Amino acid sequence: MATERRAEVTWNGDLMNGSGTIDRVGTGAFGPLDVSWPARAEDPSAGKTSPEELIAAAHASCFSMALAGGLAKGGNAPERLSTSATVTFVPGTGITKVALEVRGAVPGLDDAGFREAAESAKANCPVSKALAGVGEITLDAALDA
Amino acid sequence: MPRIERSATVSWEGNVARGEGLITGETGAFAELPFSLPTRLGAVAGKTSPEELLAAAHGGCLSMSLAGELTSAGTPPERLEVNVKIVMDEVPGKGHLVVASEADVVARVPGIDADRFDAVVAAADAGCSFSALIRASASVTVRARLEAT
Repeated sequence: MATERRAEVTWNGDLMNGSGTIDRVGTGAFGPLDVSWPARAEDPSAGKTSPEELIAAAHASCFSMALAGGLAKGGNAPERLSTSATVTFVPGTGITKVALEVRGAVPGLDDAGFREAAESAKANCPVSKALAGVGEITLDAALDA
Repeated sequence: MPRIERSATVSWEGNVARGEGLITGETGAFAELPFSLPTRLGAVAGKTSPEELLAAAHGGCLSMSLAGELTSAGTPPERLEVNVKIVMDEVPGKGHLVVASEADVVARVPGIDADRFDAVVAAADAGCSFSALIRASASVTVRARLEAT
């Protein structure tokens, strides 16, 4: 069965001086969130999100679920996974890179096994597949020290 | 051109069927949004999902691209409303895939005619980095109409 998720955005004015709002998402889990071109392309300290930050959040969450699923299927359900995704955006070119980093607490598994499961999650999670056109997707995976 | 980086972090506890995660954006615009597998695939209970975040990303990307193209055409918009629906489905032999993103745009743009508007919408879709990326593996449709000014 297909799953649908929605978002609604309003924009006022031109690109450089105008601003937008992600007014609502279907689940109501977040919003409204303000967006603007300066916040997207220049200064991240203004506390405004951007398409690239939302893509980073989508990829990190998708990857984490795929990895939790893969580890559990292999008999080593994780206690905890901490994942970050960093999306690189070059105006005029597009999204050029996603860097995934994950640290895990997984009883009974060694580093090599964890890295193998993480590579599989990176290859198979739906957001990875949707972003297959990105030139470079990197993965740094290790168990918690 | 400058390279711009944006990050988000996720913490996950437990297996996929019964575990739960939290999503935080580095700008602080959103923090500790909960998500889980049951709410990703089925009933929503105020929890977001990767696909909902992609819908929000696509809406933000398209609205900015359209504002930029309309301004370049000499007709900056007064207001744009962009609704995006992301569809994920289970495809035989391929597992779960994002199969479609469907955008509906209502625009209030003084001084533009319908033909010119259609051309600008097509340019904005082509220029939105996220449209270009997911078109490689999913269908992307943008339906746009002008509102009376």
